[in-house]
Amino acid sequence: MGRMGEKVKSCLVNSNEVHMLLADKSNIPEACSYLQDELASKLCSLISSDERQTSGAFVLRYVFEVHGKEDVFIAVTARTKESAENQLPSVPSIVKKFPLAVFYEREIRDMFGIIADGNPDARPLVLHEHWSAGVYPLRKDFDIKTKVSRDTGKEYPFIKVEGEGICEIPVGPVHAGIIEPGHFRFSVLGENIINLETRLFYTHKGVEKLAETMKLDQALLLSERISGDESVANSLAYCQALEKIAHTSVPKRALQIRCICAEMERIYNHLGTLAGISTDVGFSYGSARLNILKERMMQLNSVISGSRLLFGVNRIGGVGIDLDAEKLAMIINTTQIVQEDFEKIISMLRTKSSVVDRLRNTGIISKKVAYDLGLVGVVARAAGLDVDTRRDHPYAAYPTVSVDTHHDTPQNLMEYKVNLEKRKGDALGRFELRVEEVIDSIRMIDELISDLYDDNILTTDTLRLEPYGYALGYAESHRGQTIHWVMVGQDCDSLFRYKIRTASFVNWPGIEQAVLSDIVPDFPIVNKSLDLSYSGNDL
Amino acid sequence: MICEEIIMSHKKDASGLRNSVDSGDSKHVQTKIMSDIMRDDVETIKDPVNGYTNSQEFRGSITLFDAIPHQDSLDKLCAAKAIETDGRNVRLDLGKCIMCGRCQQAAPDIFLIGSIFETPVKVRQDLIRLSGKLDSQGQKPYEQMGKELKEKTSKILRRSLAIREVDAGSCNGCEVEITALNNAIYDIERFGVHFVASPRHADVLLVTGPASRNMEIALRRTFEAMPDPRIVVAVGACACSGGIFGDTYATTGGIDKVLPVDIYVPGCPPTPQAILYGLLLAVDRIEASKING
Repeated sequence: MGRMGEKVKSCLVNSNEVHMLLADKSNIPEACSYLQDELASKLCSLISSDERQTSGAFVLRYVFEVHGKEDVFIAVTARTKESAENQLPSVPSIVKKFPLAVFYEREIRDMFGIIADGNPDARPLVLHEHWSAGVYPLRKDFDIKTKVSRDTGKEYPFIKVEGEGICEIPVGPVHAGIIEPGHFRFSVLGENIINLETRLFYTHKGVEKLAETMKLDQALLLSERISGDESVANSLAYCQALEKIAHTSVPKRALQIRCICAEMERIYNHLGTLAGISTDVGFSYGSARLNILKERMMQLNSVISGSRLLFGVNRIGGVGIDLDAEKLAMIINTTQIVQEDFEKIISMLRTKSSVVDRLRNTGIISKKVAYDLGLVGVVARAAGLDVDTRRDHPYAAYPTVSVDTHHDTPQNLMEYKVNLEKRKGDALGRFELRVEEVIDSIRMIDELISDLYDDNILTTDTLRLEPYGYALGYAESHRGQTIHWVMVGQDCDSLFRYKIRTASFVNWPGIEQAVLSDIVPDFPIVNKSLDLSYSGNDL
Repeated sequence: MICEEIIMSHKKDASGLRNSVDSGDSKHVQTKIMSDIMRDDVETIKDPVNGYTNSQEFRGSITLFDAIPHQDSLDKLCAAKAIETDGRNVRLDLGKCIMCGRCQQAAPDIFLIGSIFETPVKVRQDLIRLSGKLDSQGQKPYEQMGKELKEKTSKILRRSLAIREVDAGSCNGCEVEITALNNAIYDIERFGVHFVASPRHADVLLVTGPASRNMEIALRRTFEAMPDPRIVVAVGACACSGGIFGDTYATTGGIDKVLPVDIYVPGCPPTPQAILYGLLLAVDRIEASKING
């Protein structure tokens, strides 16, 4: 940290996390810029916590993920407090350098009442206009049962696009199909979208606050329900954070079962998304066939875990389900049948001009946009960014399987890099990438099963946590990287703070950029091809 | 004859747009697709007796045995606060249960988890089970329920049953299952049930989620836009009671705090069969409300 010198008060290393405490909050922008420019890292979360009772201040942690070969996270930590009675604490905004920070800073303003000085967008994000002022739910002095009075007559100021012939189309929060709620405000000129503003957080149900009232084991059930269809990935990230704090080693068999289930989750969701894309381009035969495969996978989920959505797989220190020979055979058989059918359906879809033409050049997200917004998962990879948490920050049993076959030989890597540069970031690219990932996931499941250890499924060690210990847990869901920051409470059986940043939270701003070259009727395709969770974003 | 026409039109389609298609022999592929369509098996559940049932491992209904609770921590065990004890009796609220199975692991002599789905009910109170009472309600196979639903709908509504679905803050698990009702395996449309885009066309409002505060107004407005008779079906533990999300600053703790709920479908998430059962009860309700004027 050479250049930062005396501006850094102390540095703390905990496994693959470096925590750097700044001497003063005014150094935040400089420290963040330094990390991005000099260490080629990217902002991946901004965590705030109310530690006034324990250390007398609000603490903000700007978490950076180092790109390249090293598996390191760096957290810039700064403290801020109320300078006077009735005055909100503040920190300097980093929006100028990091456009993606605008949402984090708005969230922290709503939930903690910490102002980011210099953030041009002072509109509420999580708490809609009908919440009365001065309510900061994640502060420790706010009681979770509080019923806040409802203000009426206030309206949310959407960005106005003005000019001759420009119309506004409001859509939502209740949509025509069976999907989650959110509001989209299109400004259009004829059919062309000039601007789109998304307004979310309709499903905000206080998950982070609720976790603070729960025991560790109960919060695990809550983490599965952050977003129902990514239950394995989110609970995995939660468990891994706790295991990291306690330095618990999880039995190898449990790690492998975690990966098998995580890949099964990826398969059934990608099948659903591909089916959705097929519906949205108006090709219902393809979607009917793909939905049959999705249903087969969900029935398999039910046999494996007792839940069609794979609830109940992860436990702190291992897994809650074991796979006997019969179940393993069933997984192999089902995935094989699914793969055969899947390949047939996809080769059919590829020849349908009505499908391919609608997807090609629709909903383009350029590499630059993807990088600036810090997008993750399929969306980022389709835009040409080489990011995959399973490979960049290996967890569970992923170090033992080949996550992708692109990086094994120098020649493959070179070809892959050329291929990456060619990617356009359109809906077709995301479609093809999902197809590839389904096949890859089935291959990985085969690999894991053929090499399954005979071992316990739950660690026999007791979980040794220290009061106020904290760590990051992360996993790659089918949507992309999900990062959970867990800080345990004083009694070591509760949570002091649980910050969840799902892939959806970072990928949602991408949709506003993706639709800019499109017409209104293409919006459903773009939306489906990005596959975003509302619940995972709103928490 | 019709098939031939379709094949011909597909051929035309393929040859006309050759440049946008990667594969050269698309003609051949198109005919192959058609022959595939004709050769495909029927995937839809059709056998009323041997039809699809939940796997043995599925965590569904809970039977409560009469046993004196030996653990004081029994009511603290449940993350969704579905279990209450007063020292002697156990009270289980299935409207809150998220089917995690932790209670069976902790006290196998009191709780037994079965693989059939938890039965939807018309009155919230019916989801509360006291120790000693065993669940004796029989369940019908999916196909049979569907046929009954179709008969009732055509008798009572003289048309199909139109559903408007609203997510009032769910985790999207319930949406996954409701969407599954439309797939070729459950194919709910063959029973005359379809999902409509506007509340103005709907007979039934299918609501999921704990009624988040931010969705409250939109939910009310959707209900107000529906014509009478209108039935509200609360789908999932969250909709029945708030579920694991409970009653907090951000939620209202169940759909019945916002709207009059007619049917409660427990489960986390409820299976497609359970949701179909709920719709069957909903049609009964429509009949009753028609008779009462």
